Amino acid sequence: MTARTVLRNEWRLLMADRPLRIALGLFVVLLGYALTNGVVWLRFQERTVEATKSGNVERASALEQELEVIEAGGQPFSPFADPRSPLVLGGPSGSQTAVLAPGPLTALAIGQSDLLPYYYDVNVYTNESSFHQNGEVENPLNLMVGRFDLAFAVVYLLPLLVLALSFNVLSEEREQGTLALTLSQPVSARNVVTVKLAFRALLVVGIVLGVSLLGALATGGFGSPDRILLWSFTVVAYSLFWFMLAAWVNTLRRSSAWNATILVGAWLVLVVVLPAAINAAAGLLHPLPSRVEMITAQREASNEAVNRRSELLARYLEDHPEMAEGVVADEPGLGALSWAATDAVNRRLEEVAAEHDARRAEQIALVRRYRFLSPALLAQEVLLDAAGTSDARFAHFQSQVRAFAEQWREFFVPAILADEQMNASVPANVPRFGLADEGSTDVARRATVPLAVLGGLLALVSAAAGVGLGRVRGAD
Amino acid sequence: MIRHIVRKEFTDMIRDGRFRWCSILVGSLLLVSLAHGWVQARKAHEEHAAAQATAREHWETQGEKNPHSAAHYGVYAFKPRLALSFVDEGVDPFTGTSVWLEAHRQNDFLLRPAQDATAAQRIGALTAAQVLQHLVPLLIILLTFGAFAGERERGTLRQLLATGVGWRELALGKALGTSGALALLLVPAALAGAAALVMANPGPVASPVARGVVLACVYLAYFVAFLALSLAVSARAKSARTALVFMLAVWVVNGLVAPRVAVDLSKWLYPTPSAFEFARTVEREMATGTETISRPDMTESNERLLAEHGVERVEDLPINAVGAYLQESEEFGNRIFDRNYGALWDTFRRQGLLQEALAAAAPSIAVRTLSMGLAGTDVEQHRHFATAAETYRRDLMRQMNGDMTQNSLTGDFSYAAGAELWESVPPLEYEAPSLGWVLGNRILSLAVLGAWLAGAVLLASAQVRRAEVA
Repeated sequence: MTARTVLRNEWRLLMADRPLRIALGLFVVLLGYALTNGVVWLRFQERTVEATKSGNVERASALEQELEVIEAGGQPFSPFADPRSPLVLGGPSGSQTAVLAPGPLTALAIGQSDLLPYYYDVNVYTNESSFHQNGEVENPLNLMVGRFDLAFAVVYLLPLLVLALSFNVLSEEREQGTLALTLSQPVSARNVVTVKLAFRALLVVGIVLGVSLLGALATGGFGSPDRILLWSFTVVAYSLFWFMLAAWVNTLRRSSAWNATILVGAWLVLVVVLPAAINAAAGLLHPLPSRVEMITAQREASNEAVNRRSELLARYLEDHPEMAEGVVADEPGLGALSWAATDAVNRRLEEVAAEHDARRAEQIALVRRYRFLSPALLAQEVLLDAAGTSDARFAHFQSQVRAFAEQWREFFVPAILADEQMNASVPANVPRFGLADEGSTDVARRATVPLAVLGGLLALVSAAAGVGLGRVRGAD
Repeated sequence: MIRHIVRKEFTDMIRDGRFRWCSILVGSLLLVSLAHGWVQARKAHEEHAAAQATAREHWETQGEKNPHSAAHYGVYAFKPRLALSFVDEGVDPFTGTSVWLEAHRQNDFLLRPAQDATAAQRIGALTAAQVLQHLVPLLIILLTFGAFAGERERGTLRQLLATGVGWRELALGKALGTSGALALLLVPAALAGAAALVMANPGPVASPVARGVVLACVYLAYFVAFLALSLAVSARAKSARTALVFMLAVWVVNGLVAPRVAVDLSKWLYPTPSAFEFARTVEREMATGTETISRPDMTESNERLLAEHGVERVEDLPINAVGAYLQESEEFGNRIFDRNYGALWDTFRRQGLLQEALAAAAPSIAVRTLSMGLAGTDVEQHRHFATAAETYRRDLMRQMNGDMTQNSLTGDFSYAAGAELWESVPPLEYEAPSLGWVLGNRILSLAVLGAWLAGAVLLASAQVRRAEVA
């Protein structure tokens, strides 16, 4: 009996089993639905990204025109927003929207992209509190429940299908009495089970990867082959983990019903209970600091700053001698004074934010340690990272916006301090935000540890299954 | 006879190792999640109360300034944590916790706790509500899938019926026996919850105890529905295995698949604008008005005041024309905000209602909706607080502009009010909606859950009557 015979028989058996056929069909339908959902979301984000870009162009050209009118002897359109003032041209009315393009595989995993902001308006007033934004308009109820995307289908539903296909891979033969017959042929139990599982794994992984690649093809995800590779690798490792778990349980020589109960229990614990318990334990042991105190700090800093503007300006100029050029020390302009106050508030906010971020990073590091207990958490982490919708990519974007805001300030602040006037040539020369997206090496580096652990878990169950299968005798 | 069946089932359950372990697991998860929720809620409550007091202090001690400057300074409002939120945190992690109430604009609630957490937290937060909505039904399935099918397979069903016991008695006995075993797990949790409710600083919620009692009833109804459904399937199924597989499929669809599908459907049917579009629309309408809401014009406003007071020049007016105009533009802005935010909230509401209707296919949605509603953590109660905060903002602006109009003259920029005016503004006292209001919002879910309960019980009695002995 060759592997081909086993494969052919398996295919016939599978096609004869109506419930399984229905389950497989349903799975394909659900995957298609999940992909459609992701594509709709991706298109929505892409439209917004386009709108922010054209908004940038419109704003800049409107200000340029206004400045040209003023230079030709006209009046500013509003006496309160004279674009010749650097606080206006570099302020909210001249701000530039820095935007993060959707992750290359957003269609496969919506991830955090419905919760975290993906664009910020940057101007001279951008500070740490500017990052407290809501992101996309979304019903909080929908955020709470989550979306039906491919990542969800892979993490939650794929294991169930795997278990339905393989919970009785060996026990059924024993119950039907065909095991002894099969093993009387020149094959080992290990071979039979391997071929049977390989066939099922090819089927399941083939379907999932097929749909994933289709999604990547439809949405231009092939621009990042490394990410696709990472995604596929995770799907394969995660599915194999469940197949091997089923194989191992089958070697325990219990009934099919017992296998089914144990495997469903394992799914429940590893996919549903453990992640939730880990989150709860982490929240209880290492609660995240709340941001509420930041509001109070901001208020107090600005109250104080307003009263000490001259003093703050003096200190600011001491700290930034390169900016002092053009500032009349005895009679500083209003712009310079108000900037000194703004800067003092920004510094204070940075302190509070740094303190908060340090505590948050510490706690998240602790929380992340527990995730090694659950293959579902590990798989979810790498899948989102591969898709470019993980927390890490948004944090990377935020740090770039922070740097860009600094660049923006460097451009405008000298003029603010010196009370200089802006002219029509300025809008064309302001700094432009260009996202240096994280490289695939960054993603790969982050994925190494969770993938290694997932691989370790897979090796562990595979070894157990291998040893168990070596002991299987037809006469049991 | 029924007493014997109940006792036999009950004894079976508690002697069964599987049940013991599952119950210990679910029970401890329930207690841990209650404790976790309680600690979190308490911490959030204290934090918010402190922040609110500081915000008030900032307002009162802002020093002498023009009332309109004070309006720009504004105050912060912090969303209170309601007493029962420790059972079900609902959408709270996904709504902002504070809002800046300032002149000229309605701001969004900022600082969503979920933004500070990681993606892992979205895979499953362990709250008492999650345990009750998902794990307890699973336990019920594990306890009951073999109730009839198992006895039939073992051949004991025939013996049992030979003793003269009726199908109905048998079913009732099995249901009561299982319930008794479950009660061992649920009653202590309910007592712990009740104790926590009494011990915790209840926060601003009307009748927390009544809400708690209704909450308990909702979960009870859900469990009974699940129990009945599972017994019906066990009576009907050919084998215990079929019963288990079927009920597990029901569980997956009910708790995992249907809620997410409902979200997507509601988004497709009632799409929300992008944040970018929304902000742009508000900005545009604030600048130019709409067809029906026109922007106030300063010249027109001044002319009206001059005619009213019978004077020729604004300088001669006994009031400050700028203050009056500011208030007019405030009211114009309010109409624009009501129009846009109102439409947005209504879309959210329609999305929520559609999901509630889809509970017809998955009762977990109905239970989830009712649970959040009673815990005070649903979208409607977030809106309730947001509306209260916005109303407060409008009153505050009216008071500031009114003071400026009445107590200073046009063109007088040196006028400054002091602590007396700031203190005369009452602090924001939020009153959470009543139980009647919450239930009134949730009639659809109540009806759907009721229908599931009635349907499951009827189905169980029909299936049991028609069940085969072997």
